[in-house]
Amino acid sequence: MAGTITPSSPFPRWMPFVPHKREPYPWLKPGIFLGGLLPLVYTFVRASQGALSANPIAQTENELGLTALIFLVASLACTPARRLFGWTWPPRIRRELGLFAFFYASLHFLTYLILDQFFDASAIVADIAQRPFITVGFAALVLLIPLALTSTTESIRKLGYQRWVRLHQLVYLAGALAVLHFIWRVKIDLSQPLTYASVLGVLLAVRLVFWLRKRYTGKAA
Amino acid sequence: MVIPWQGFPLDDLIRRVEPTGNAKYVEMTSLLDPEQMPGQRSAVLKWPYVEGLRLDEAMHPLTILAVGLYGDALPNQNGAPLRLVVPWKYGFKGIKSIVKIRLTETQPQNTWAIAAPREYGFYANVNPEVNHPRWSQATERRIGDFLRRPTLPFNGYAEQVAGLYSGMDMRANF
Repeated sequence: MAGTITPSSPFPRWMPFVPHKREPYPWLKPGIFLGGLLPLVYTFVRASQGALSANPIAQTENELGLTALIFLVASLACTPARRLFGWTWPPRIRRELGLFAFFYASLHFLTYLILDQFFDASAIVADIAQRPFITVGFAALVLLIPLALTSTTESIRKLGYQRWVRLHQLVYLAGALAVLHFIWRVKIDLSQPLTYASVLGVLLAVRLVFWLRKRYTGKAA
Repeated sequence: MVIPWQGFPLDDLIRRVEPTGNAKYVEMTSLLDPEQMPGQRSAVLKWPYVEGLRLDEAMHPLTILAVGLYGDALPNQNGAPLRLVVPWKYGFKGIKSIVKIRLTETQPQNTWAIAAPREYGFYANVNPEVNHPRWSQATERRIGDFLRRPTLPFNGYAEQVAGLYSGMDMRANF
């Protein structure tokens, strides 16, 4: 059938991110969607094998929180990657990375709410109000809610691009609070949280440099 | 945490060496061997690990030196060949892989009190009514349980050990 341009999609209909046929790396979006679920599957598999340490609830809570932070930092790396290296593919998965950060942060909170505290409202309120590491962690999650709700292309149109960008700058604050949550949580060994803090610091510093250059030279880098 | 340890009272060992009246405290030191214990390669704590008890705490019959758990010899990760178990202090003070025991006149400098003096003192008698500076210690989850339960003063051994601390301000001496 020479001449017809109706290739059937290689992707099943249930996939939420059916790639545009002319984009490079057509597997990027389905890949990030399936890959983003792997940490959860990995935790479930080990839970079913009793391989989540002597305290599986705490282990699950910690792993989900760390996964959320990794996705959050990864989503913040997309724009610097494009501007520094000219890569166009990271911004294409930025939304998915951000939504996975929110997904894992929500599961992290639900694990705390249900498995750890079992809906003990007074203990939870005391935790959020009195324990700074929980206060900032909870604040980070709350900040991610409006970002997740306005993550659609339609929201960008509705809000207008400038206002949407302004709103989504809240992610910098959420990232900083998430790292602080981690720093204040560890008992003594700060090496892991400080690693994430450094990466986040570099990503925010890159933005600051670009912002200053634009402001004082009038040129986008 | 309810763990079936096997061991012998530390008191048995202390009596054998016939401490003089100058002995007020017991200081214990863990093996320092970064080859076998890779955690010691980073200076998160001051190595070797040191723990201490007041002599009357050390000679209390509940205080044991453990050599096994669940009926088996103590695994390396649980502190083989010899570790301390002080049941009324929850998991605190349970120094592992002991290589040195000294009787001292002055209060030993225990590793956690050096590392974070605001958070960890010498006694580590978990008081459910006093929060750790960063988190609550009012409830606990026993290994194997799903629901938390209220944490008891002296881990439920108040009847046996509260007398050791009568007249002491347990908030100041945490």
